[in-house]
Amino acid sequence: MVCVVLNVWRGRPRPRNLTTTQPPVPTDSARVCRVVVNEGKNLNTSTTMTTAKPAFDETQSCWSCGAPRPIHFCEACGKVQPPASVDYFTFFRLPRKLNLDVPALEKDFYDLSRKLHPDLNARAGGKDTGGKEQEKENEQEWSLQQSSQLNDAYRTLKDPIKRTQYLLQLEGVELEEQSKTATEQARSTGQLKKQIVPPDLLEEVFELNMQLEELRMHKKMGEDDPALIDEIGRQKLELEEKQEALLQELKTRWKMWDGMIQREHNGQPVSEEERRQERDKMVDILNRRNYIRNLVRDVSEVLEN
Amino acid sequence: MSYSDKVIDHYNNPRNVGSMDKSSADVGTGLVGAPECGDVMKLQIKVNRDTNIIEEAKFKTFGCGSAIASSSLATEWVKGKTVDEALAIKNMDIVKELSLPPVKIHCSVLAEDAIRAAIGDWKKKQESAKPVAATVAQ
Repeated sequence: MVCVVLNVWRGRPRPRNLTTTQPPVPTDSARVCRVVVNEGKNLNTSTTMTTAKPAFDETQSCWSCGAPRPIHFCEACGKVQPPASVDYFTFFRLPRKLNLDVPALEKDFYDLSRKLHPDLNARAGGKDTGGKEQEKENEQEWSLQQSSQLNDAYRTLKDPIKRTQYLLQLEGVELEEQSKTATEQARSTGQLKKQIVPPDLLEEVFELNMQLEELRMHKKMGEDDPALIDEIGRQKLELEEKQEALLQELKTRWKMWDGMIQREHNGQPVSEEERRQERDKMVDILNRRNYIRNLVRDVSEVLEN
Repeated sequence: MSYSDKVIDHYNNPRNVGSMDKSSADVGTGLVGAPECGDVMKLQIKVNRDTNIIEEAKFKTFGCGSAIASSSLATEWVKGKTVDEALAIKNMDIVKELSLPPVKIHCSVLAEDAIRAAIGDWKKKQESAKPVAATVAQ
């Protein structure tokens, strides 16, 4: 990739052909504009994409006009920026807290969706030649990438469960691996494995599955069993209530987590032990809830078919 | 993803499906579940008190084909083994035997857990039975 930065327009009136194919330019006429002529196929974004989860580098400047660069597009010249590899909280400029103003998030989402819409940034095919044409292509590509990042970030953060799971993932919790890890621990210590799902819930799940199997058999034989259907329906309601109760329980953990993050933000030390404990409590709630959710899904399937 | 022939065989002809009296002193019951997929697996063993050999094993699993195959295989393997030999069964042995793909490794983990849990339950019964036996003897 060859990237040449020319400071040719500094202090001069901006040439017309530069502005005609651009998104609306703010009226700040005093702002100088640097032109980046990109002679490569694409601006190489791999350096930012491959980095794990860095905080956004606020010192970066707009590729087009050099103004301090925000994450999504340039406030000064309106140009879409190459996607930065940031976590979803950073993408929306939010702290890593769990109590989130969802209506405000939604507003941000719609606002950014409009501004990042690929159609708005898709004006390739004009009379421009060379670098200009390439710039258009880049911008269109970036707005596509940014839009998809925006959609993923919004979908994840607006949902309370997904948001919590995502935060835990950022904190290094491998939800998929915990069962395996616990087994390995049990094996090496000779102790009984710490069960991820509590025993009483397992009993309940097992019994309900037995009943579901029975109901499936009845249905297969074309037999009706209203009493069993009633019983299973009643249990399904109970499970849904449990699911709701677990969500409330999770929300009380959010408060503890957010308080901890706030203290950290205020410069007070938070021990790794405290952090771990808060994480574990949320993981425990999520496990139970996911387990129940899967069961409710199975029950619904059997009842509806 | 397709199941291996061995998984399909165990799925279609599961060995040792059923249950035993869980209150019996010779029977150990392991009930385990995986939050990843919502599977639940019950594995029971009947142990000969004098030889510590697992004479009978039963299972009942609600879950995917791999979970059913893993537990079916586990019951086959533990039968005839001593309790300590059965504890040496590792989930990766099951993975190899059934050619489970990486996404189904947790099914084999579950089967190993079930074996350990069943043996753990049986051991607990033996320990708590001792003082009772002593009282009876007096």
